[in-house]
Amino acid sequence: MPPKKVPQKTGKLDPVWAKPEDLKKPETVGERTQQRINLSTPYHGKDLNDLTADELKIYSHTNLIKPISEGKISLSVKAEREFWKVVNKEKLPIRHVRDNYDWGKDKNGKDIASYTIEELNQRKVKQARYRALSLFSRQFVHLRDQAKRQGAELAETQIEDERKRRREMAALKKDLYGELTAKLVQDPVYDDIIPIPMEEPENALARIAYPDFYAEAISYLRAVMVAEEYTPRCLRITEHVISMNPAHYTVWLYRFKIIQVLDLPIPDEIEWLNEVALNNLKNYQIWHHRQLLLDYYYPKIADDEDAVKKLAKSEIDFVNQILAEDTKNYHVWSYRQDIVAKLGIWTVAELGSTQNMIEDDVRNNSAWSHRFYLVFSDPSQSTKDASPTEHDPKVPESIIERELKYTRDKILLSPQNQSSWNYLRGVLRKAGRGMSTEEGFASQFAECLGEEGEKVTSSHALEMLADASVETGDAEKATLCFTRLAKTWDPIREGYWQYRISQLKEQ
Amino acid sequence: MAAAISQTGAAQTSAYDIPELFRMRPVVVDALETDSSAMQQDTIEECLPFLLGEEDLGPRNNHGIPLLDKQRHLNFLRKQLGPLPGAFMAADPSRPWFFYWCLAAMTLLGEDVAFYRNKLVETVRPMQNATGGFAGGQGQMSHLATTYATILSLALVGGEAAYDVVDRKSMWHWLGSLKQPDGGFQMAIGGEEDVRGAYCASVIISLLNIPLDLPAESPARAAGHSGFFSGLGDWIGQCQTYEGGISAKPSVEAHGAYAFCALGCLSIIDSPHRSIPRHLDLPRLISWLSSRQYAPEGGFSGRTNKLVDGCYSHWVGGCWPLIEASISGPQEGFAAEAVTPATEAGSLFSRNGLIRYILCCCQDLSKRGGMRDKPSKNSDAYHSCYVLSGLSSAQHKWTMKSARLDATVLGSDEWVVTPYLEGQQIFSEDDRLATTHPVYVIPQHKADGIRDYFANKAGF
Ligand SMILES: [Zn+2]
Repeated sequence: MPPKKVPQKTGKLDPVWAKPEDLKKPETVGERTQQRINLSTPYHGKDLNDLTADELKIYSHTNLIKPISEGKISLSVKAEREFWKVVNKEKLPIRHVRDNYDWGKDKNGKDIASYTIEELNQRKVKQARYRALSLFSRQFVHLRDQAKRQGAELAETQIEDERKRRREMAALKKDLYGELTAKLVQDPVYDDIIPIPMEEPENALARIAYPDFYAEAISYLRAVMVAEEYTPRCLRITEHVISMNPAHYTVWLYRFKIIQVLDLPIPDEIEWLNEVALNNLKNYQIWHHRQLLLDYYYPKIADDEDAVKKLAKSEIDFVNQILAEDTKNYHVWSYRQDIVAKLGIWTVAELGSTQNMIEDDVRNNSAWSHRFYLVFSDPSQSTKDASPTEHDPKVPESIIERELKYTRDKILLSPQNQSSWNYLRGVLRKAGRGMSTEEGFASQFAECLGEEGEKVTSSHALEMLADASVETGDAEKATLCFTRLAKTWDPIREGYWQYRISQLKEQ
Repeated sequence: MAAAISQTGAAQTSAYDIPELFRMRPVVVDALETDSSAMQQDTIEECLPFLLGEEDLGPRNNHGIPLLDKQRHLNFLRKQLGPLPGAFMAADPSRPWFFYWCLAAMTLLGEDVAFYRNKLVETVRPMQNATGGFAGGQGQMSHLATTYATILSLALVGGEAAYDVVDRKSMWHWLGSLKQPDGGFQMAIGGEEDVRGAYCASVIISLLNIPLDLPAESPARAAGHSGFFSGLGDWIGQCQTYEGGISAKPSVEAHGAYAFCALGCLSIIDSPHRSIPRHLDLPRLISWLSSRQYAPEGGFSGRTNKLVDGCYSHWVGGCWPLIEASISGPQEGFAAEAVTPATEAGSLFSRNGLIRYILCCCQDLSKRGGMRDKPSKNSDAYHSCYVLSGLSSAQHKWTMKSARLDATVLGSDEWVVTPYLEGQQIFSEDDRLATTHPVYVIPQHKADGIRDYFANKAGF
């Protein structure tokens, strides 16, 4: 007796309508889906006239049982028994795989149908992990609310676990769907803040498509500002906003308020600020913030001479560090003047440090301006609040002479440098001296004026000679200087030189 | 007369009538090289091909000047007012500036911007704070710069629906809280105090017809000030530096942008021929302003030994009408055909130099459009606004015909504008822009429109 054929329990029983390509191992998800469709819908897509009687029977039976297997029609017990008999006998497919099934695309726009089976499985594992994590996360919120109702709080370790959980969820979300989770929702510390999102009309002018993470941060910032909350977590929100947009003036003013309310240590804030400043050289809100900090901090240490000196040194050091990168940064120089006045840095070292910058670039007008301030606003040797354009009898003669000599030296180095000439004029004003006192010096840069072999190596010297002549009433010489400037040595300013000439005639 | 257009393009440099001044490197140059001189040298080399006609900027006239490509620039400005990508995130606190820059620039180019009225009104309404003033965006703090930009934008689109957005009473309180004991204004509560604040506040007060009396709670009252403008001129006077220019606040470096703000402010608190010489050393200021113009570039720089930049066409260029008014005073007999000196030297600065720099170097004639700092920089809304303002100012002559009798009657100086027709006209007549008021930097009738509206309102 031949051995009885034992039906394979593990292997599939291939239906008679299966085509060879439906039976090979699928490589991609899409292929597998197609196979399942083919196996569950016998002879689909075939011309019915081409089918044999048996095939036609299977085809029509499959369609007949569909409404029943899908539960659309309910049968009596007897009829149902009959139904299953037929189904089993003919091995008809009970479950029908929907045609045109769309697996969708992943975050990179790749069709998931083109995934390998293994890839799909990995994705499914991640999705399951995400679902599990969100379950735990919801549980955390529930527990915390419960604790709160009882006037208690969760342990820091629980909060830290939740923080980690949310970070993992964010990573999974990004990995699976390419969706970025905003930063603040990842930290349970912010859970009770109800963000106030910006609501703009669709057609608002210059409407900016803010990135989600920025929009989130701003909406949290707005919420805590409206609530007038000044707590460490708010400080962290400001830091987060500043890291994205340091030009946001409101966040800086709010941050300063938090620092005041919490009475935070200013040196720490300054240290943090240094980092921000180095990364944002052109930003000026940083420097106003720094000034506010100093205004607030100085009275606390004013009586401690050493502390003031130490602060002055560290501030100047930092300012120098920034100026080394950006030698004419207006706001940094402006800040430097503030701290000189506030911390009393009227020192030889400060003068020297400015001098170094002039040595590096004798045309650095910001450095010259700072020098003028240091010399002529020093309270020990100048009149308080004297205008920069006025004679100040309190400035010692020795200082005037020192400045004149310094400036003349720099002019000799670079005669056509307007910074040093302007400085020279400034010093003469402070000294109450006329331009004519420098006529001798200026003459060397303008030889044989109006004559054969005229040679001008500084149009600024010529301008000074003109002004000196106006002063001494020598209209003829002044006219000559102005004319030579207009025609040859500085003709872009012709209109101005002509105006000066016309003024001479009025006198 | 319109200059004839040559179709020869860039090739025939010698065919252009370009004065030597704008073709040659400066005659007086020091041998000593430093960072500043190297950068200046680079800038000259960068600009020269544009000035000489070597750079292809489309058709140039026989003065070597390319046309002003208005459509291209208008397109750029329209885009800047439309939806902006996330890269503009940094502009979040300064969006009202975009409204002003774009609307003002479009107006200068001849566009009627009333079309934007509803959109503007709906956009700025939520930026106004109940405590007064407009912020850079929703939920931010009110700021003088953004309030200034918003008010000017509302004036530009015009109409009651725009004017009525402003809550003047809370504005009055808020401005009062910004006025400082030393006479100046903070930009925001707790913000920095500088000359911009003085200018922005005085423009807002003047255009909105805000009562000049300080509210009772103003911190300035402690120092004995009772009015918004009390001590303001003196405070600005302290901002003049030894160079003659104006700094952001007392004792800092002279800077072109602050010069305009200072003169604009002084021209609001009284007529310029009285207030400017009263508070500033005018001869030193004029000399400093004049030395901001460079050749061969033709444009203005903002500080001594810094580079030319298109935006100073306004910040420095826009000072001249106010300087002229402060020198000459009111010209009671002025008629449009009045004679001015025959040469270009009738101006205190080289108008043609500035026009050359603007049309040759500041236009972005690529697909992008818009105006820029200098050829190596990208165009933006800010430079478009101030380059075009400067161009308009160079193409026109503003004369103060009569001065107010009483300093406190703001906006009652009568200004008259005529096309500047002296000397050689190097630009095509089609490229003459619309006019803009020398103090408010919007067209005169727009400034009158908003001021008249509020002048007729009794109380708040
Ligand atoms: Zn600029």
